[in-house]
Amino acid sequence: MLEPIFQVDDFSFRFPDLLEPTLRHITLTINPTERLVITGPSGCGKSTLLYVLNRLYPHNCDGEVSGAVRIFGRLAQDYDSGEVNRKIATVFQDPDSQFCMPTVEEELAFTLENLQVPRQEMPQRIDRILHLTGLEDLRHGVIQSFSGGMKQRIATACALIMEPECLLLDEPLAHLDPLTAKEFISWLNHLQQKSGIAVVAVEHKLELWGSFFEREIALSENGTIRKDQLFTERDAPILPDRTSAIREKVLFEASGVCVSYASKSILRNIDLQLQSGEVTVIAGPNGSGKSTLLKALCGILKIDAGTITGMRVGFVPQSPEQLFLSKSVEGELAFSGNSSAEKLRHLMTALDLRTIAQAHPFSVSHGQKRRVAIGAMLADERQVLLLDEPTAGQDLKALTELYRQIESRAQDGCALVVVTHDMNFASSIADKVHLMKDGILSGPYQPEELFSNSALLAEYRLHMPKKGDLYAPAFA
Amino acid sequence: MRRLLHEMNPSMKFLAVTACILILAFFFNPWTPLLFFTGVVLLQLLLSQTNWKLWSLAMLPFLIGAFGYFWTTLVFGQSGDSPVLWTIGTIDITVQQWELAWSLSLRVLAFSSISLLFAFTTDPVHFIQSLMQQWKLSPKLAFSVLISYQFLPVLQKEFVQLQQAHRIRGTGSRSSTFKRLTESRRLLIPLLAGAVRKAERAAFAMEARAFTGEARTHYREITLAPKDFVLFALFSLVLTISCSAIFWT
Amino acid sequence: MLKGWKLKEIVLMSLFGVVFGIVYLLFLHIGNLWAGVIGPLAYEWMFGIWFIVSIISMYIIRKPGAALLPETLAAAIEVMLGNAIGPRLILSGIIQGLGAEAAFALTRYRHFQLAILMLAGAGAGIFSFIYGYFLSGYAALEPSFVALMFTLRVLSGAIIAGIGGKYIADSLLATGSLRGYAIAKAEKSDARA
Repeated sequence: MLEPIFQVDDFSFRFPDLLEPTLRHITLTINPTERLVITGPSGCGKSTLLYVLNRLYPHNCDGEVSGAVRIFGRLAQDYDSGEVNRKIATVFQDPDSQFCMPTVEEELAFTLENLQVPRQEMPQRIDRILHLTGLEDLRHGVIQSFSGGMKQRIATACALIMEPECLLLDEPLAHLDPLTAKEFISWLNHLQQKSGIAVVAVEHKLELWGSFFEREIALSENGTIRKDQLFTERDAPILPDRTSAIREKVLFEASGVCVSYASKSILRNIDLQLQSGEVTVIAGPNGSGKSTLLKALCGILKIDAGTITGMRVGFVPQSPEQLFLSKSVEGELAFSGNSSAEKLRHLMTALDLRTIAQAHPFSVSHGQKRRVAIGAMLADERQVLLLDEPTAGQDLKALTELYRQIESRAQDGCALVVVTHDMNFASSIADKVHLMKDGILSGPYQPEELFSNSALLAEYRLHMPKKGDLYAPAFA
Repeated sequence: MRRLLHEMNPSMKFLAVTACILILAFFFNPWTPLLFFTGVVLLQLLLSQTNWKLWSLAMLPFLIGAFGYFWTTLVFGQSGDSPVLWTIGTIDITVQQWELAWSLSLRVLAFSSISLLFAFTTDPVHFIQSLMQQWKLSPKLAFSVLISYQFLPVLQKEFVQLQQAHRIRGTGSRSSTFKRLTESRRLLIPLLAGAVRKAERAAFAMEARAFTGEARTHYREITLAPKDFVLFALFSLVLTISCSAIFWT
Repeated sequence: MLKGWKLKEIVLMSLFGVVFGIVYLLFLHIGNLWAGVIGPLAYEWMFGIWFIVSIISMYIIRKPGAALLPETLAAAIEVMLGNAIGPRLILSGIIQGLGAEAAFALTRYRHFQLAILMLAGAGAGIFSFIYGYFLSGYAALEPSFVALMFTLRVLSGAIIAGIGGKYIADSLLATGSLRGYAIAKAEKSDARA
């Protein structure tokens, strides 16, 4: 019998600035070569648990702990900081902030330098890991110039070059589109089979992982282990279909819109019509010009040709806080000065913002930030709302909330445009879908028509939505 | 030959540049900085591959600054007892002021030329690695700086996105340069808030890669070779010739 | 100097150095153009801008060195970006940082009220002026002109760096992103008291 990698015994953890513990009475054992996923609702402490396993916590946050964590049989607090991490490697969620050197080769070498590998051995080890991970061509590439998916592979290679016994993954797919995510998983699967290391992941998008995992530890809201069970393959969460709220009135029309940047054509001849109460989804591969399109439609970017007519257009970026200018949620809605006090009160209630009216808009949750942003747009009399990638990195609860939000705004008579990669979400929310590639917008397609056309979906790097029972437990 | 300055040990180059600047600060005649400026540009012409168009562009602000020094010293510099050279309106310009003005403005040019030489021939990553290897700079500090340096393009992207997002709120209007500048203060806090979170994530990522800040090996060894001492001597020569100007003027 | 610092504090401090290195460079160019028209006096009233990272970083991290290091780094970044006054600037950075650091050291790193922050800003001003006096040859200028420069610079340090720095750090604290740093803990214990 091999020695377990982790033995956690009646472990509890509290952040110094919170009153309640984040993790309670956790007891678990993780063995070599296991493939395990930690799941649970957001805020349940699953990332905290992962940071305890790689020993970043409690040291880095002055957390208060009780119970014991043993790593390779030795108490976690008996290791020096960084010492255990040569055996326990981690890949984090944000592809933008895990590298400190310019090129892939230098970044790999940084890891080896940490381990005090003699200089003569480094080239071989770098060759070997590049070969193992299939990243040979990237050796001299500049990391910050790569896509998110590539950066996550590089981060994984940097973790594996330490020859660890366990790889921890903290929502590694959060910033990837579904197809890129699936490619990453099959690549990882291949690597795990070759190297035989244990994989422990924190994840909520389980449907993307297929049958990758063997075991699942489900945490409950209060930070205890709810279930420790065999992993079963998941389907995508199913959102209900909605009844369309489309009205005759056309709110917005763009025709022949062209945008170019540095003499490169980014948008070509775009036509788009939006009706009151209509929900339009725009999908397509990364770099196809979707974000540019939204920015052109709402007037942030200048258009070179074409016409845009209709109501004023509001824009909610992927990070809604980019819009914020005030020190309170209330102030954010009032900022434009285009709404009466009564209308503001009405919006605050409709968007469920009353309880956080005085909070700093940067300090509220992601879902609340988006509602504040939508509120600010509506208070500025912008009835056409463009949402850029609102589904990225969202768990089921957040998706459900987003769904309801879009539904009620459509019922109020707004026209909404949602840019998303998530075809499950698209198939249940959309009245019509446009596809985008190389700056050209095609469509509109009826959702039923599009989602049965697998050739068309593949051409735009999209996946087929899974349709199951209409009412998933989340909606019951 | 044309790669010599690029290949010079960065710590050594830094030492040479700093020494030159500190010593030049004690010379108040116009010839020393002029000679030094010429010498430095000559060195850079012969021993480096410089994009001179870019260099001229970088030099421009300093040229303007030097001009500012020139005329304010003419007007406000100590007149001393030296004879009056010209009278413009009610202002007398003495010989002493005239010489001082030349000396101070040429000094700006001399300082900028050597600084630009350093900037144009030094890779920041190599410089930091050299500081770590030759001058025992703490690896914790060195890699924190490198990681922050990697953030520059990320922050720039974020800056543009913030600017665009704010445009829809009716701020950041494109009306005038001054207005744009005052509006950009609104971008600082959101940009910093994002940067703070990134800093924490980056620190975690480093630690998770077994970074302890303790002793380490080096993949790229930055060495100190005889050619570095020769180049150092070359800088000293230019400096000595420039400084000797006080004896023959 | 970095004993007792967490890695995340060092990275944060470095990042401040980098961000403000860019801000400094921007203002350096504005100042240069300005100075071309008005002369060196143009710089004096805005000098506090170049001390601000010391105040912000120390007010947030509250450890010895938190004023000196980022100021030095900001200067180094200006140099690395390739179009600044160069390595000489690193020296001025060190000296300005020392000026601010001195004020905090005087209070043994225990007090961070507005008055101390303004004192630190003024300290940076005084140190940098003494350095500039020798390097830029102020000795050759009229004493009354020099006195005016000195007053302007110290005031600018106290107001722009001291008050401005506190304002920026407090705004940042309000966004909730400084959780886990000394400034947030101090605020909590103030709230309790």
